[in-house]
Amino acid sequence: MKKLLAILLCGVLTASMLVGCGSKSDKEKEKMNDGKLKVALCVTGAVNDMGWCQSAYEGLKLVEKDLDCEVAYTENIQAADMVSAFKEYAANDYDVVIGHGFQFGDPALEVSELYPDTKFICIEANASAENVASYVMKCEETGYLQGMLAAGMSKAGKVGFIGPVQGASLVKIMNGYEDGAKEVNPSIDYQTAWTGSFTDTALAKEAAQAMIDNGVDVIGHCANEAGTGALNVAQDAGLYATGDSYDQSSLAEKAVLSSAVYHVPELIKTAVSDIKEGKFKGEVKELGMAEGIVEFVYNEKLMGKIPQNVKEMLDKKQNAIKDGSFKVPCDTKERKGK
Amino acid sequence: MLEQIFTVTFFTAFLAATVRMAVPLIYAALGEVFLEKAGILNIGLEGVMLGGAFCSFAGTFYSNSILIGLICGMIGGCVVSFIHGLLCIRLSQDQSVSGIALNIFMLGVTSFAYKLMSAGESYQQVSTLKPIPIPVLNRIPIIGEAFFHQDIMTYMVIVLVIFAGIYYKKTASGLAFTAIGENPQAADAAGISVYKYQWIAIVVNGVLGGSGGAVLVLVQLGKFSENMISGRGYIALAAVILGRYTPMGTLGAAFIFGGANALQIRLQALGLPIPTQALAMLPYIITLVTLLLSIGKSNQPEKLAKPYVRGSR
Repeated sequence: MKKLLAILLCGVLTASMLVGCGSKSDKEKEKMNDGKLKVALCVTGAVNDMGWCQSAYEGLKLVEKDLDCEVAYTENIQAADMVSAFKEYAANDYDVVIGHGFQFGDPALEVSELYPDTKFICIEANASAENVASYVMKCEETGYLQGMLAAGMSKAGKVGFIGPVQGASLVKIMNGYEDGAKEVNPSIDYQTAWTGSFTDTALAKEAAQAMIDNGVDVIGHCANEAGTGALNVAQDAGLYATGDSYDQSSLAEKAVLSSAVYHVPELIKTAVSDIKEGKFKGEVKELGMAEGIVEFVYNEKLMGKIPQNVKEMLDKKQNAIKDGSFKVPCDTKERKGK
Repeated sequence: MLEQIFTVTFFTAFLAATVRMAVPLIYAALGEVFLEKAGILNIGLEGVMLGGAFCSFAGTFYSNSILIGLICGMIGGCVVSFIHGLLCIRLSQDQSVSGIALNIFMLGVTSFAYKLMSAGESYQQVSTLKPIPIPVLNRIPIIGEAFFHQDIMTYMVIVLVIFAGIYYKKTASGLAFTAIGENPQAADAAGISVYKYQWIAIVVNGVLGGSGGAVLVLVQLGKFSENMISGRGYIALAAVILGRYTPMGTLGAAFIFGGANALQIRLQALGLPIPTQALAMLPYIITLVTLLLSIGKSNQPEKLAKPYVRGSR
């Protein structure tokens, strides 16, 4: 009896770990292919994670609705399973296979030679081949504008920036922020910290507190959910901050001046419609503010606090970025020390 | 650079940050000392803290009372510890396996429950405990800000640690807890109810571990986020070993870990020309070095992680 109970309890614990590792492709496979484009999506987490993977799933739904495609997806793909996930879809005559994340770059290159008729799209990766394209968001553009705003609003001449884990797509935001801040104030003191975690909200808050103790009066971040700790501490100290990923002004109404918004669903839609219209090219494609994929939004409630000249400067720069007369440098190398 | 570090303001702020970073660790580690003294290892401490963090957030959010939230956090921690107790005391199962399973299980459960709660809305915020400065003492340079300008949870944990230190040294029941971790057969023969004491230790572990998670929510952040404990449970386990299974030693170890983390993030912000990864290793380098220095002096309870089955030899 005791043993049975133990086995049962263990079973429940393990089963709870396995929940969500499902695949949703069977239903779609049964349908007849009536000339529709077949699109498959592979993500590393759950499609309802309220973050990175969910935004891809929303993109897939957009593709299904607006572009009239047949869609399928697989969740929770570990690094070791990426190749087999790609192969499975390609072997089942999917026209487009999307890997959502830089991790999918190498697996895509590996599989692409075996299935030349399938197009592989990697988001935020650096891979390209005959039938492999990478779509990258120019997050450094909004980083640059936010940095300019931060420097324009800083009275102390000190600006701080908090990142989660050093990855190329995050380092480029941090560096863009610095370049933007230095354009406004070349002698600005730019303090940075990496928390080494996407989830450690308390440590992000501590990093922001350390910067505030050093005299920083505007704080930026690209630390996903963990960065909200930094926004809170800025609001408590009566200082300003800038948000990232989506419009974060509701999280700290009195602190968040502006947010960088990344339209991942539109990015995925763009990638698929490129293929549909025959515009596919095996290259790394960068999309930014001009294409409406990356967007810079103000917090309406704090608009009055931003001086007119700072606003005009930002509008001018934003237009210059959009019409291509100014190109924000994309530096993915970490700059350390001073 | 160095002139920025060796200043009174830097040390004052650094010490205050150390205490903030250490308090959740002290709560959890103290709970683990209680349990490990009684011969049970709970690697699931991370899960206990996560349960406490989520329940304290949910409790405060729905009741608008921090006190009710704190009690919910303690109950949440207890439930997780209770599962561990059921598997390890009642069913004599492998304690490491149960602990690891609990950590993964709780990560899923809390994330799922939080998503149900927030239902796609943006993040909710609850009020936090405000600091209560102790007059006169909080004016002491350097340490005043860190130790006498804190919230009630911080004062309480220091009192608890001192109380626990005295409890183990001076009381019969404190000795009984130590005895069942060292030699449960002998303790049983002497008339100590081993299972009763182990279950009490499970409750203490849950209450204190849950409080550790609740501190993060109710004192520091005012919100819950997925996997927000981020390894603090494991650090607390290391603090217990480093602190040689004594309440005071664990307190010191928790301060070392909290201090190392506070220092590395502060040095990063000052722009020290050292790779940030190297700075992030600091807490773990300190662990390894201190463990190396304490070779051969283990105070580990003799029967730690060995299930006691009454009547067996």
